Amino acid sequence: MKASEGIETSGRKPSRPPVVAPGHSPGSVTDQITAVVLDRAPRWWWVAFGISFALVMLLLRALTKLLFEGTGIWGLNIPVGWGFAIINFVWWIGIGHAGTLISAILLLARQEWRTSINRFAEAMTLFAVACAGIFPLIHVGRPWLAYWLLPYPNTMDLWPQFRSPLVWDVFAVSTYATVSLLFWYVGLIPDMATLRDRAEGKFAKVAYGFLSMGWRGSATHWHNYETAYLLLAGLATPLVVSVHTVVSFDFAVGQLPGWHATIFPPYFVAGAIFAGFAMVITLAIPLRAAFGLKDFITTRHLQNMGKILLATGLIVAYGYLVEIFMAWYSGNWYEQFMILNRIQGPYQKQWMALLLCNVLAPQLLWFRRVRSSPVLLFMVAMFVNVGMWLERFVIVVTSLHRDFLPSSWGMYSGTFWDWATFIGTIGLFLALLFLFIRFLPMISIFEMKTIVPKQVPNTAEEAPE
Amino acid sequence: MSAPHSNAHSNPYEPPSDLERLQRHGWTLGAVGVAACLVGWILDSNQFFHSYLVAWLFWLGIALGSLAILMLHHLTGGAWGLMVRRTLEAATRTLPALAILFLPILLGMQEIFPWARPEAATDELIQQKAAYLNPAAFTLRGFFYLAIWSLFAFILSWLSLRQDRTADPGLIRRMQAVAAPGLAIYCLLATFASVDWLMSLDPHWYSSLFGVYFFVGQGLSALAFLIVIAVYLSQRQPMDSLFTPLHFHDYGKLMLAFVMIWAYIAFSQLLIIWSGNLPEEVGWYLERSHGIWKYVSILLALFHFLLPFLLLLSRDLKRNAKLLSKVAVLVLFMRWVDLYWLAAPSFGHEGLSFHWLDLATVVGIGGIWFALFVGQLRSRPLLPINDPYLEEALADD
Repeated sequence: MKASEGIETSGRKPSRPPVVAPGHSPGSVTDQITAVVLDRAPRWWWVAFGISFALVMLLLRALTKLLFEGTGIWGLNIPVGWGFAIINFVWWIGIGHAGTLISAILLLARQEWRTSINRFAEAMTLFAVACAGIFPLIHVGRPWLAYWLLPYPNTMDLWPQFRSPLVWDVFAVSTYATVSLLFWYVGLIPDMATLRDRAEGKFAKVAYGFLSMGWRGSATHWHNYETAYLLLAGLATPLVVSVHTVVSFDFAVGQLPGWHATIFPPYFVAGAIFAGFAMVITLAIPLRAAFGLKDFITTRHLQNMGKILLATGLIVAYGYLVEIFMAWYSGNWYEQFMILNRIQGPYQKQWMALLLCNVLAPQLLWFRRVRSSPVLLFMVAMFVNVGMWLERFVIVVTSLHRDFLPSSWGMYSGTFWDWATFIGTIGLFLALLFLFIRFLPMISIFEMKTIVPKQVPNTAEEAPE
Repeated sequence: MSAPHSNAHSNPYEPPSDLERLQRHGWTLGAVGVAACLVGWILDSNQFFHSYLVAWLFWLGIALGSLAILMLHHLTGGAWGLMVRRTLEAATRTLPALAILFLPILLGMQEIFPWARPEAATDELIQQKAAYLNPAAFTLRGFFYLAIWSLFAFILSWLSLRQDRTADPGLIRRMQAVAAPGLAIYCLLATFASVDWLMSLDPHWYSSLFGVYFFVGQGLSALAFLIVIAVYLSQRQPMDSLFTPLHFHDYGKLMLAFVMIWAYIAFSQLLIIWSGNLPEEVGWYLERSHGIWKYVSILLALFHFLLPFLLLLSRDLKRNAKLLSKVAVLVLFMRWVDLYWLAAPSFGHEGLSFHWLDLATVVGIGGIWFALFVGQLRSRPLLPINDPYLEEALADD
């Protein structure tokens, strides 16, 4: 019997890796996290930022050409009038889901392991939403008139079509971006004050002081702060679901086989969380190694994120399966053709790769050994990143390219400028992220401190296992 | 405190003695209901089978939803689940009995399902689906689902009993290892079951979200039921000193979450089908938006979603066991209305056609089911006495 004397019954609990590595005090937490921001940047940071910034230049080059010459430089044509722009929009907006999910839903569910990853996951959300927002904007063709999407009184008698989910997107995405930004900023305020107090340079002192909005850490401040944070979490939770639901409506309210499926809303939301967690893992594993943050982003975090990846991956697989079964069960010729065309048609390779990345690869996460190995987990996450892009490619392109009339069938592929724009946004995303980790604490300092004291008795308790 | 409790002697969490009376009431009601059902079967066998399907699905929903919630608890942990684990386990152990109660549906297959009638041979669309929708495959699939679900229920109950006896801490991991694939398999089989038992009542109609609607509804049924049982137990020894407002707060939050998910799924399906407006899909909703069914649909929106949603937003209500149980009873009643609304318009009766057999079948199956459930609940301590997290759960307030 493991329940030996001197240790309470809780000693019989199965052992779990701790949320914070043993031996940390509130002071060491602050030192280690602020050091990333306040010390000199390592050389690799300059190299990585430089490469990302070069890709931002590529993005600007592609956008300039687009504005001069129009969307003809892309591969879009009839029948495939929705190509890379929509695929990339949905891909990025999906990635932008994990941050708010981790921050809001896991906060409300009292999952304290979220503390080490919520800050940079929220930042990642903002950057992903920024990248996503570029695509619909440039896809309208004349982006300088994009404000016509908003309902405002004007002399042209213009009014948005409120039955169109594309208009709902405008509201859903802008609301989501606003609340995510607020949530992120409110969470940063106490840490800005810490940086203000620790900064050496004059400019840094003033800048962090300005951003900390006069935070002094009084009991009233904390009280108001906690209330505001909880309220924002409550507000953000339905938004996580609403954005991707509206995105799924973009497709599902139409009549096109492959788009018109009632399973789309929950299956898109699960796909978004799946993609978002894959990206969090993709970023967290190299960052914790580079900055020596393994004490804060521990094996426990990797395991939990691996489990969420597996669960959402299974929901996505369920979506694929139900889609195929219902296409057969419907008895509808066009539905059946759409599925057969995916499986055997000209885009068969993409479909098979999609299954490999999104259905087969995540099954490795059933094994604890894979979930706790940073290298293997990173590889699975990379498969998912690719797979979720392919999923949107398959949904958008294979449904459009062969619709009801064989006389109007055609093929689609991205041009150089399609790829340049897409890779350019990846550069933008990474560049913003590198700036973020240099200028702001990527792990919430004050929230980490709240779990450190609890950690001390726990370390003794976990030891006998 | 560290020594495992011995089960044989003093069991600190013995079920209250008046459960026995409750069980007797269950048997009595069941007997009356079954007698009424037999009379109804002779008088109007068509109506009997229609009512029977809805009633059976209603009670099955509670048992299966309990299985899903139990597995969810094993996977996520938490005090809320430990306090009701025995209630959930008792409900899942009724699944073999529900498999026996599935037999009348097989007897009435032709009365219930259009695809099982001889006329179906002339329907081209039904003929295309005949590889799936045929009596033999339907029967085999039905028993297959029920057997697999029962298997998971019994493995989990057996591991739980072993935990009581041996206090082996490794059992938690084993329960998790069963629950993870179990939950996935439950959802998958429930999806196909929803096609068999409800969607195929209108064999031309299809919706890929329907399976999710079906199992989310089962989860909600189970939560409402477990709240009613938890409140009953919290008014009696020994649980009266153990349940705290915090536990009910958690159950209330979970029920609120499921009410919202149910509404989300229901609304998504409606919006997508309404806006696509395809003849092969929208007919199902047209049946439910005309005549008396329009009012039943509105009733669902108001009392299956809006009222419980608004009430459950209140923190005080969620912490008040008695009030919470009243909301739970409303939700349970609306679960039956929802299943009735899914099935009855497809039977092709004129108008609303509420029949006394609809009540008799719910009481008949329900009485028997409830008596079996209470019998199972009485057979074990009300808390998993040797679970390593139990002390933490009890200290939680």
